[in-house]
Amino acid sequence: MHMADALLSPAVGLSMGAVSAGAMALSVSKIKKDDLSDKKVPLMAVAGAFVFAAQMINFTIPATGSSGHIGGGMLLAALLGGYPSFLTLSVVLIIQALFFADGGLLALGCNIFNMGVIPCLLVYPLVFKPLMKRGPSYKNLTLASVLSVVIGLQLGALGVVLETTASGVTELPFSAFLMMMQPIHLAIGLVEGVITAAILSFVYSMRPDLIEAELIPSSKPRLSFKKALALLAIATILTGGVLSLYASEHPDGLEWSIERVAGTSELTSDEALHDKMGAIQEKTALMPDYDFAAENNSSIPGTSLAGLIGGGLTFLLAGITGYLLSRFKKRRVNASPLGEN
Amino acid sequence: MKSKIREIYSLEQLSGRDTSIHQLHPLIKLITSLGFIIIVVSFGRYSLIPMIPMVFYPTIVMALSETPYGLLLKRCALALPFCLLAGISNLILDTGAAFTLGSLSISLGFFSFLTLLFKAYLSVITVLLLVATTPISDIAGAMKRLKIPDLFITLFEMTYRYIGILMEEASSMALAYRLRSHEQKGIVLNHMGSFVGQLLIRSFDRAERIYQAMKLRGYPASQKGFAEKKASARDILYLIIVLGSSLIFRFLNIPGTMNNFIERFIP
Repeated sequence: MHMADALLSPAVGLSMGAVSAGAMALSVSKIKKDDLSDKKVPLMAVAGAFVFAAQMINFTIPATGSSGHIGGGMLLAALLGGYPSFLTLSVVLIIQALFFADGGLLALGCNIFNMGVIPCLLVYPLVFKPLMKRGPSYKNLTLASVLSVVIGLQLGALGVVLETTASGVTELPFSAFLMMMQPIHLAIGLVEGVITAAILSFVYSMRPDLIEAELIPSSKPRLSFKKALALLAIATILTGGVLSLYASEHPDGLEWSIERVAGTSELTSDEALHDKMGAIQEKTALMPDYDFAAENNSSIPGTSLAGLIGGGLTFLLAGITGYLLSRFKKRRVNASPLGEN
Repeated sequence: MKSKIREIYSLEQLSGRDTSIHQLHPLIKLITSLGFIIIVVSFGRYSLIPMIPMVFYPTIVMALSETPYGLLLKRCALALPFCLLAGISNLILDTGAAFTLGSLSISLGFFSFLTLLFKAYLSVITVLLLVATTPISDIAGAMKRLKIPDLFITLFEMTYRYIGILMEEASSMALAYRLRSHEQKGIVLNHMGSFVGQLLIRSFDRAERIYQAMKLRGYPASQKGFAEKKASARDILYLIIVLGSSLIFRFLNIPGTMNNFIERFIP
């Protein structure tokens, strides 16, 4: 479910980053207002680390032989509350992006939105909490967990599809991608929902205080339905605005024109070759965006290979540079008498 | 499981070295990495060849920082599956011929597929290099510079520290479970609730002890632990060189131009 940098366009990545950063700032200020905020920090940190540990535990799915691990978003929300669990998950996602190459730096905004904002700030207050209003019984816990995890994952998967489609990096048609992602995540959601319910029930039977701490003192509602709806509306408008902004943008056109200008200005000094080169330049300048090459499909086989040789050479050059640099560094380390390192 | 725990901190161990890359200002490194990724991602979907010069940056940084290639490439491979999955559609759906290599026709989809993988490689390796050359306390320092609230930075550092400890706990619990269950792989779904629940209760109890220990040591006191390092001219130069050259690569098709140059001599 983690989005990768490579699947995103800068516009989508950066604007989702702005949305998520806003949600994080809001959460920090909400937690600071809480009297027990200094007590919450170590609890949140350990809960975040717990997610890593819990994800390491593989369980076997009966009759299939395959195994999986839990995501843990709704579990944290049920134990810590909306805002703290959201911040905790954001930190988890940042650490995953930095140290595990899971997701990426630019994709952080999308990932925090899909896996943090959606379960913790939308599904938890709108689905989980209302369902738990009748008191934390096993039946309520199970129903609320399964339902919220499924809804959260469905919305998250939808987010992935929307962000990928808006970025326009893959050819996948929107509907086909949707048909692929939603059913898979329905299955994942059901399994995770059942496990989340089992964990919460176990914790409730052993230590009811941990569950009640977040759910019972809800005498003053933290996020009213109206407020949540407004939040949802703002998020929708923001994403919608970003998408339409992107739709009217044609970075490739820009690239193409600059390419041409830069390409043709290259060889003006050589008058004799100019005309001949101009023709080749036309073709090679077409290469960076193969759309154009495709339009005149009958292009001459030899010349349309443009860039392959240059590309290979560049690769080689980069490799040699790296190799020489590390050789040079090694020699210097060995040369120094104590070999400090 | 033990190897997984070691794996987490292997990158951080690299970050303790002292090379020219390690000495750079952490915030500058963070901005440079993000800028580089944005430029990489902004390349068109078929611009595989113009994008090739971008490989210089990670290669040079890897060499200068003496980071072992194997470790980073292994991590990169872990990140690829999702991109592979999403990219396969390009292979199947985008069948227009890009060009022909002798009698072999290369499709546009194949090209965009390779471009996607190359983008994934560049963006992942950039992040890994950033972490392999920057200690986590420096990353936290850079966050502070960005005016990210203390609460969040403390949370970030503490979470990172406790991952190893809780994984240790989980792995000893898993070992005990395995010893009690006969030749069974993983944990039965029915036991997940009590197993993870147990881990959770232990974790929360630990959090309570941590809080008390922190409180006894004067928490929450204002934190001034970060060395206020100013960005030097060298740091700024690094930023300008990396991002400047990347922008040049972005807008000028260097390999294409090189190719023209070669074609001039070999008709």
